[in-house]
Amino acid sequence: MGALVLRRFGALLAVLFGLACIVFVLQTVIPSDPARAMVGANASQEAVEAKKAELGYDDPLPQQFTQYLQRLAQGDLQSSLRTRNEVTADLREFAPATFELAFSAFVLAVAMGLGLGLLLAGGGRAGRIIRIFLIGGASVPAFLTGLLLILVFYSWLGILPASGRVGDNFIVPDGPTNLLVVDSIIGGTPDLTLDALKHLILPALTLALLPALAIARTLSTSLTQVEREDYVRTARSKGLTERTVLLKHALRNASGPALTMSGLQVGLMLGGVVVVERIFAWPGIGLYIDQSIAYSDFPAITGATLLLGTAYVLVNFFVDLTQAWADPRIRTV
Amino acid sequence: MTRRTTTLLAVLAAGALAVTGCGSAEKTDSASSSSGDSKTLRIPYLADMSVPDPDVFYDIEGNGVILSQYEGLLKYKAGTLDIEPNLATEYEVSDDGKTYTFTLRDDVTFHSGPKMTCDSVKAAFQRRVDVDQAPAWMLADVKSMTCENATTFVIELKNKVTPFLHYMASSWGPKVVGPEAIETNAGDDFGQTFLETKGDGTGPYKLSSFKRGSAYTLTKNAEYWGTPANFEEVILSITPDMGTQRLKLEKGDLDVILHGFPASELESLPDSVTVEKQDSLLRLILYVNSNKAPFNDPAVRAGLQSTIDTNQLVEQGYSDTAEKSTGIYPPGLLPGEPKLPYTPDPAKAKAAADKAKTKKLTLAYSADESGVQRRVGELLQAQLKTAGYDVTIKEVQLPTVYGWAENLEEAPDLAIMTNTPDGAHPDLWASIMFSSTGGLNFLGAKNEKIDANLGKAISLPPEEADPLYKEIAQEVIDDNKFFLLGDVKNVFVMQDSLTGLSNTPAYPWLVDFAALKRGE
Repeated sequence: MGALVLRRFGALLAVLFGLACIVFVLQTVIPSDPARAMVGANASQEAVEAKKAELGYDDPLPQQFTQYLQRLAQGDLQSSLRTRNEVTADLREFAPATFELAFSAFVLAVAMGLGLGLLLAGGGRAGRIIRIFLIGGASVPAFLTGLLLILVFYSWLGILPASGRVGDNFIVPDGPTNLLVVDSIIGGTPDLTLDALKHLILPALTLALLPALAIARTLSTSLTQVEREDYVRTARSKGLTERTVLLKHALRNASGPALTMSGLQVGLMLGGVVVVERIFAWPGIGLYIDQSIAYSDFPAITGATLLLGTAYVLVNFFVDLTQAWADPRIRTV
Repeated sequence: MTRRTTTLLAVLAAGALAVTGCGSAEKTDSASSSSGDSKTLRIPYLADMSVPDPDVFYDIEGNGVILSQYEGLLKYKAGTLDIEPNLATEYEVSDDGKTYTFTLRDDVTFHSGPKMTCDSVKAAFQRRVDVDQAPAWMLADVKSMTCENATTFVIELKNKVTPFLHYMASSWGPKVVGPEAIETNAGDDFGQTFLETKGDGTGPYKLSSFKRGSAYTLTKNAEYWGTPANFEEVILSITPDMGTQRLKLEKGDLDVILHGFPASELESLPDSVTVEKQDSLLRLILYVNSNKAPFNDPAVRAGLQSTIDTNQLVEQGYSDTAEKSTGIYPPGLLPGEPKLPYTPDPAKAKAAADKAKTKKLTLAYSADESGVQRRVGELLQAQLKTAGYDVTIKEVQLPTVYGWAENLEEAPDLAIMTNTPDGAHPDLWASIMFSSTGGLNFLGAKNEKIDANLGKAISLPPEEADPLYKEIAQEVIDDNKFFLLGDVKNVFVMQDSLTGLSNTPAYPWLVDFAALKRGE
């Protein structure tokens, strides 16, 4: 297990280095002038040059790259060109909302994926209907799902809010975790908890839908294979109910590919937050990236990308650990 | 009753007890308790503003937060391009045009409590110079600032700057920032850190909350020296998706959409929503890259006058939310200026295009939420194709546009942008757009005659400057490096129940929040 942890840690560093290089290359090849955008259209050329010097944009590229890596190694992500804050401070402000959304969506995706996968593996009419649902659902992009959900649950039914993290008639607590649902529970304000949960449902569902479908398909395929195994036949021949066979015997052995898929779906989910947070005005990292791109705010883009990359690698690391727990053969691979 | 049911009931009972025993996070003043009330005005922003610091802020999104909190010495009179007093009751310009004497109001207090005096105005102006960010250019010609007494503020300029009063009235002009930023929380950055999330102005609203990515809340200033605001609170929520904004407006959870609403969807709005189209100084422009083939050939550029059908671009792109431009300057800035001669003539257009060294063109348009510039780009693409060009269109972001000047050979051949001047003076438009060093001259157009006339005109009185500005207009027309296509309106989509709409053409995408009210 120790070797696995070391390998994954090495992979994390490699991924982060790769991401940092990609962002730097993008920064240099995209013809933009954030210094001019910062000082304004009326600024003199001298003012533009001074700003470039201040930002280090006039140094030779190798020097810029070295300084960039040195700063990253020290955890210095520089200041955002748009918000003028330290990027680390911005990330601290925006990350909890994304964590809350992604975590809720992940839980929802796994639960939905598990349920749908089991129903699909069960076959019959329900399985066929779900199969159609899976094929149809997988072809709908997240932005369309989001708008459709807003239309139905906000506009038509009026039971869920369309955007934001909380209604503007609430006082938002200042910590301690900045996870609104958690903080409102800690603060003993159930009305806020309920409102925060209501705001969370539609974006979490939008974000969870595609990963849930992918998990369901993988799980059902895996279950179908496992059900052909001898030990499953033995369990059936012992007179165990289909439910017991499926849940107690087949599911654990079939869960490996679904777990791997869950980990991979986190990557999809972290990419999806940019679209989902935009549609639902969810004040997280996705919205922060979306707004930073429009401003060519590369320090902010770099910081947010590295944060999401780290999250992706860490989630996959935990998925690997879970797989190793579920299937001891993996630990020796 | 089964054991499972009993457990469930016990959990529910415990939950109910916990709920009744807990507090509430709801605002007690109920200022924002329900949508459609008379206390709260709800407005969406498509994106976060940069910072709510008037000496740093130089964008459009966010000007409502700035101008509701902070005031300048002068302002533009609502619905006009005329300058009127604001924190100054009157002003005087010396005969040599270099000394401006402002008489200040004596009944103004800052949100933090202290009374505004000449010293505080001087400190605020000095802060703009010290902070030295984008809007500082408006005070670049200031030689000295003095207080003759508590209500007399004198500014002496190094050179004569005729549009100086327009700088004072501009949306981005110097604002009077209070002592909370300048003294109490100045820190080592002239209070910039403090003003990233807080404020201290003299305006009808105070900044009570600034939650980046979520919402900004303005609360009514009960001590305001002027007409008090009608709404107790203004909540500006960040809602980046226009579809979501529309649904919330229709549902009554938003009151006014200030910009970006697609013109093509205006007709389909319900009766509970009204559309106000107001004049603005926003202009739709086609930039021509004269630094490379094919448009480095003046004859090929001239052919664009016969190629572009501005009527079609404006009518089909904007419906009736823009009008075809008739002059180089925004309407009302220079009466009697030369008329634009653009007349579609397919034969002439084709003849000019036949002379082009290359028929392959790149047409860029700046990204906008409403999609109108993409639509205009597509229409223009079709018009150019009729003349014989093969046009590729692409969307670009503003920092990319600023980057073109670095490598004009790689920059697009044509670009569509919407720009606005900082104020209602010909120089404020011509200098930034048409001068060789103009900040909005994205495709590096150069014309020595224009530069020379701009240099002269800025220090001349209107009767002598205006003929020069007209010469500049004729030169822009003849040079064919800029095509003025449309005069774009401010389009406000708002609840029918709102009244008191007050807009100033020189303040883009903005209504006076304090003047708005619900009902008659």
